[in-house]
Amino acid sequence: MISQTPTFDTKALRKTVLDMAYAGSTVHIGCAFSIIELLAVLYRNHLRYPGNEPRAAGRDYFVLSKGHGVMAQYACMRELGWLKDEEFSGYFADGSDLKGLSDSRISGLEVTSGSLGHGFSVGVGMAMGAKLRGTDQKTYALVGDGEINEGPIWEGSLFAAHHELKNFMVIVDENGFQAMGSTQEVLKLGSIQAKFESFGFEAITIDGHDEAAIDSAITQLWASDSKSPKALIAKTVKGKGVPFMENNNMWHYTRLDPETYAQALTAVAGSAQ
Amino acid sequence: MRAAFSEALVRIAKADPNVLLLTGDHGYALFDDFRKECPAQYINAGIAEQNMVGMAAGLARAGFRPFVYGLSAFIPVRVVEQIKLDVAHDKLPVVLIGDGAGFVYSHLGTSHQSTEDIACTRAIPNLSVYSPADRFEVTACMEMAYHSMAPVYLRMGKSDRGDVHSAVPHAKAGSLLEAKPGKAGDIAFIATGSLVCTAMDIAAGSYPDAAVWSAPFIKPIDRKQVSTLCARSRAVVVLEEHSVLGGLGSVIAEIASEFAPVRILRVGVQDRFSHHCGTYEYLLKEHGLDRVAIEQRICDFLKENKALAPVLHA
Repeated sequence: MISQTPTFDTKALRKTVLDMAYAGSTVHIGCAFSIIELLAVLYRNHLRYPGNEPRAAGRDYFVLSKGHGVMAQYACMRELGWLKDEEFSGYFADGSDLKGLSDSRISGLEVTSGSLGHGFSVGVGMAMGAKLRGTDQKTYALVGDGEINEGPIWEGSLFAAHHELKNFMVIVDENGFQAMGSTQEVLKLGSIQAKFESFGFEAITIDGHDEAAIDSAITQLWASDSKSPKALIAKTVKGKGVPFMENNNMWHYTRLDPETYAQALTAVAGSAQ
Repeated sequence: MRAAFSEALVRIAKADPNVLLLTGDHGYALFDDFRKECPAQYINAGIAEQNMVGMAAGLARAGFRPFVYGLSAFIPVRVVEQIKLDVAHDKLPVVLIGDGAGFVYSHLGTSHQSTEDIACTRAIPNLSVYSPADRFEVTACMEMAYHSMAPVYLRMGKSDRGDVHSAVPHAKAGSLLEAKPGKAGDIAFIATGSLVCTAMDIAAGSYPDAAVWSAPFIKPIDRKQVSTLCARSRAVVVLEEHSVLGGLGSVIAEIASEFAPVRILRVGVQDRFSHHCGTYEYLLKEHGLDRVAIEQRICDFLKENKALAPVLHA
């Protein structure tokens, strides 16, 4: 555990991701770096876990539908004291629990993801459950922009709007890349905000690395009087925080070596907040 | 069968407000009673099965007990991955109902016919697979599915083939149910769903000493019971309105080959789609699943078997 009082300092979170990616010789660093600020703001200011228990009844639900960014979530869970330091230094060791994609058997992870377009629907179900129970629980589903190629995202969007799930917020990590290239090259998305609005969502687009903007947009969306589900479109940079990774889709797949690890640590330590 | 299903669902839902029925825009008249008795527990999720199963997982995580209804061609076949990842992975108590299994939609063609669903589901860990034969087995399966607190796929096929039992059986999970007693050393029929009645007709007419067993639980299944049954039988005939690949015939053959080798005739769909359309009875004939064709196959099978010594075990 890093500290008694989590700060979700984004430099520290990025360092944790680099350390575990290096320890595990694993990929998906760029996918984690684009959502660092989003997760920091959510865990710091918005997600409610009674008693700091990841499975507490009445908690808000945070669904990482794009499971490829799970190292960013692990880093936040470490600050919360939900994961031990050994789980990071021993990442990907034989017999270890933390996988390269999210696994709901880990307390703090709500869904098993990696196959895309699943978590969104599970989140819609959780939001529907909270509405049926009359609780004030909120559900967030964080999806990738590539992920919204998947049909169930739009099936679930129809349902969320039809059933006025105003307790549901989709957060789109619009980093502009998917596995094989830019979203523009692979399958044009057009205006993501306009798409969700046309499905009946109340939507805001912000800079996904501006923590103040993220915080105020989430607050503003929840403060709305409308019965619409919410969409926060976060314009992000894949690989944010390490110049040679930024907008370089190779870092969806590339593993760190001693040299790139050292360079990345230096870049993260010096990066602007 | 459908009335028994509706009655069981209403009874379970009235007793437990956490029970929800999710339908993928199917089951119009079937749910009249449910909608009247439990309107707040009814959700038509639209023609969007993938989202519906994902949502059912979310609702189960929020403490609800979803029953997800669709045609067997869609629930489970269209949503196998949602069942695997969203539901079964964490043993969430979601009951998936696949209606119209087999050739029920005989006039509609391949899209609505479902003869792969058992094979698609039984390899998914944590998921039970039920296949009731009559209204009494439907009632037993629904109660068992609800009380299991775990994922279940309940396959409902042709629903008007008559009763196998005279009352709701006291079934243990995984047990085969005796539909007709037989003598050790004779052949035994093991059938599931719509073909249990056919097996009983054939046995009554041509094999008076053969036992007939219904298998409402495809998975898990009582291996000891199956082994014992195979060991005391000269040959076993398995019948199902499903592909011979991966269905009940495969289950029985897998167990027998390991614990009680016996010759097994697997009567089912021979790894092909329907060529034509017509009545349900017509399609059974097309696939060789009508009584006459099955009797001939059994006759041929037993003749081929004559050269072999009976495989009898203590």
